[in-house]
Amino acid sequence: MIKHLARAIAKIQGLFRNSRVEEELAKEIATHLLYLEDEFLRQGLSPLEVHRQARLACGGVEQVKQAHREERSFRWLSQSLQDIRHACRSLLRSPGFSVAAILTLALGIGANTAVFSVVNTVLLKPLSYPEPDRIVQFWLNSTEGSVPGASIPDLRFWMQHAEAVDDISAYDLGEAVLGLTSGIPEEVHGVHVTSNYLRLFGAPLVLGRTFSADEDRAGSGKVVVLSYWLWKRRFGGDPKIVGKAISLEKEPYTVVGVTGESFRTDPEADLWIPFQFNLNSDNQLHYFGAVGRLKPGLSLSQANAQLRSAAQAAQRQGLLPDPEYAFVLEPLRDAIVRDARASLLLMQAAVGLVLLIACANVANLLLGRATVRKREFAIRAAIGAGRGRLLRQFATESVLLSTCGAGVGLGMGSLGVHALLSISPGNIPRIGVGGASVGIDWRVLMFTLGISLLVGIVFGIVPALRAWGPSLSQSLNEGNQRLGSGSSQSTMRSLIVLSEVSLSVVLLIGAALLIRTFVALRSVNPGFDRHNVFLMEMSLHGSQFATTANVARLVEDTRQRLAGIAGVEIAAATCSPPFGNRMGLPFAAIGTLSGNSGSTGDAEWMSVSPGYFAVLRIPVVRGRDFNEPDGKGAPGVVLINETMAKSYWAGKDPIGQAIEIGRGIGPDFEDRPRRIIGIVADTRDHDLSQPPQPTMIIPLAQEPDGMTRLGLQFDPIFWLIRTRLEPHQVAVNVSEQLREASGGLPAGRVRTMDEILSHSIARQNFSMLLLGVFAMAALALTAIGIYGVMAYSVTQRTHEIGVRMALGADRARIRNLVVGKGMLTAGLGVIVGLAAAAFLARFLAGFLFGVRAWDPMVFIAVPVLLALVALFALWMRLYG
Amino acid sequence: MSSKDKKTTHQVFQGTLDLIVLRNLATIGPQHAYQIATRLQQISDGLLNLNQGTLYPALVRLEQYGWIKGSWSKTETGREARFYAITAAGQKALRAETEHWRRTSQLIERLLVEGTRA
Repeated sequence: MIKHLARAIAKIQGLFRNSRVEEELAKEIATHLLYLEDEFLRQGLSPLEVHRQARLACGGVEQVKQAHREERSFRWLSQSLQDIRHACRSLLRSPGFSVAAILTLALGIGANTAVFSVVNTVLLKPLSYPEPDRIVQFWLNSTEGSVPGASIPDLRFWMQHAEAVDDISAYDLGEAVLGLTSGIPEEVHGVHVTSNYLRLFGAPLVLGRTFSADEDRAGSGKVVVLSYWLWKRRFGGDPKIVGKAISLEKEPYTVVGVTGESFRTDPEADLWIPFQFNLNSDNQLHYFGAVGRLKPGLSLSQANAQLRSAAQAAQRQGLLPDPEYAFVLEPLRDAIVRDARASLLLMQAAVGLVLLIACANVANLLLGRATVRKREFAIRAAIGAGRGRLLRQFATESVLLSTCGAGVGLGMGSLGVHALLSISPGNIPRIGVGGASVGIDWRVLMFTLGISLLVGIVFGIVPALRAWGPSLSQSLNEGNQRLGSGSSQSTMRSLIVLSEVSLSVVLLIGAALLIRTFVALRSVNPGFDRHNVFLMEMSLHGSQFATTANVARLVEDTRQRLAGIAGVEIAAATCSPPFGNRMGLPFAAIGTLSGNSGSTGDAEWMSVSPGYFAVLRIPVVRGRDFNEPDGKGAPGVVLINETMAKSYWAGKDPIGQAIEIGRGIGPDFEDRPRRIIGIVADTRDHDLSQPPQPTMIIPLAQEPDGMTRLGLQFDPIFWLIRTRLEPHQVAVNVSEQLREASGGLPAGRVRTMDEILSHSIARQNFSMLLLGVFAMAALALTAIGIYGVMAYSVTQRTHEIGVRMALGADRARIRNLVVGKGMLTAGLGVIVGLAAAAFLARFLAGFLFGVRAWDPMVFIAVPVLLALVALFALWMRLYG
Repeated sequence: MSSKDKKTTHQVFQGTLDLIVLRNLATIGPQHAYQIATRLQQISDGLLNLNQGTLYPALVRLEQYGWIKGSWSKTETGREARFYAITAAGQKALRAETEHWRRTSQLIERLLVEGTRA
């Protein structure tokens, strides 16, 4: 209908020239009145009466104007603007209240925004690849957990039988560090991949190409694809770099392509080089990850079902690699964020509780204001404001408050998130270097806007309900008497405090459980002496380290050099230091093992130089330690830890028994039989919260060449140095000697064993810190809430207290009355909170160590703490 | 607003008032609000109880539809007044609305007559 369109346009135009229209209207009505007055004069009325009659005939000047306004404009819009204007004025009139409310909300919303922006980046943002939801990761699941690792036989099996998945590709797990030796040597992230990996992720290219299938074959030439950033930084963005050679580990690699600026992978990479492994190998080592893309039209569960039935078919024929594992596909994003998900969601839930408490406090403030403004609202209702209009007024005020809070909170949140990430342990996936990928995007904005509206409604509804409640005349009367109706009001306030207390109890119990966990972890004896030991690492690549003998010679030479440095007590080398990567290998006993394990078993495996146990002061419980004569030509020897002795030789003496490690899992692992020469004490050197695993340790000098090569391809060699002085005082001399001994290889990353241990529990530390901060904020807000309610109830009952005192009640009695009521509310809140916490504690179980989810000490200490805080708040009110 | 209507007079429906105003302007030519109000009272012989203020929303509505146009000029007594004139679109709308009104009233008339026969 054209007339409605014309009218809407006219109304919108009217918005911008309202004052002129108003002016003209006034003039028009004035003329109209003059005519009416003339008319009435002619009818013979007195001049005074004329004035009145003219206005009556017209229907009242203001009424006409109002009718005109309503007809010519959008009524809802003008009313909303009016509401907002009014709300602004009313908030400005009480700046103390407004600032307190906005700051409280800003803290709550800011903290939520900060945590959410991390959750958003890690859990919600889609991966930046084409059709990211179709990219899947292969997992090996067993009863002991799941690992993303894959072996060559696994990969071969998937390529042949996982029909639902295209472009199955392998890539290095973990940080793959390579020495870039063009120009100034530097360690970069160089990830080995199969040729289809970059195609799978849809890598955009600025130059050249990705790898060809030919380049997957062993011995097909050394090629490399550079990332945009490395190309810019190290090669000045050379547009002719394709075809040129760069030096990696002192060997030439031909550049075939450069990826686009926006391309990122997980693990992060500066460059990619092809694996070039032999796909027919029987190597059982799981040292890479595998990913692929679901075939179009197939769902994840269909693909998993297909993979399962293929595995079953192969198992019947005895052709399945890793029969002890189930192969499972999982969306890549879930695989990447797996470890971080639970703790991030825990934090979001905790910070949400803080916001609820903040809301409760603001509702409390608003309620106090509603009491003061009861008369104002009664009068506004009396002169014609409808209930709906009053509710809208309330809602406008509270949403205005929460929007201001959200504005300030957004600022605080974007600062807060960087504070948050700066204390985070740095193992949160997907957040980029220093949290660079975390920022405010539309999801965060929508979230903040959403919670601020929700929050505005939540805390706005309480006083609005209050206004809805008693009749007008009652409110008007009450305002005069300052008595009565206090009861419904104070019930509402008690309920608010009760919920605040119970939310605080939940948060405090969570925080206390995490504190207990952290303390328990700190006090775990790792089984070695962590003090005055430090660690350095050195990448050994290239042909000069292709044999164990060469590596062993370097290690022995270096150990002697290091021993000569003043302040160094003893030094050793290993391929897998405490809290580093460790390999698991099968072994076969020559002879029988205890129990029903037959003659084979699995254990963790590591190789160490002489001196390793002395550096870490791990006692050799029985038998002897390695020494220099346990070299290449000497008989094969192995040490086992106490757990391995107990698990496989219970009731027997393992010393003197012989085992063969890694038999049947590939030529690289071909090892000779070894005699067990001693048992070393157990250590918790993988994860402090996990019990020691069976471990076998061989002398570094006796390692099979294949193992040495394989190990050094992915991990550097680690030097452990026990010092008589502070580690940092000798670190410079040590690194100098290391460089000289190795013929100029860089040694890096000085870490003390204390740091390594702290780092291993950094995640628990971070969770504890964050939850602790949230719980403290909750406690402070609750204390303020209790204080506020007591202040109110004492004021409300001044009259009553006065009467009681006049009738002879002494101060102590009155005090007990007030304190009793406050404590009753707090007590009920504690009970509700304890019940909720007992229910919720199960979700925390996965985060706990050395403490049960229903730890009695926590469940007693927290209520006591809250009672003390409540008493303190009451005391402040009465005597402060 | 106009709940004080006497029983002997008639209240006007919104749409009807629009039609009457349009008709009036089409017949007489440009008029200001007071003139329109007086004129309406005259032709209805006082049967139409028009609170003169209620004319203003109708005028603003018609003007927003683009059916009438207001402009300031002097009256014969020298006062500044806003004169409303019907536009071409208003003429067209008047014809359509009149037709519509006739048909509606005929229909209602017929229904009422049928009702008394049954």
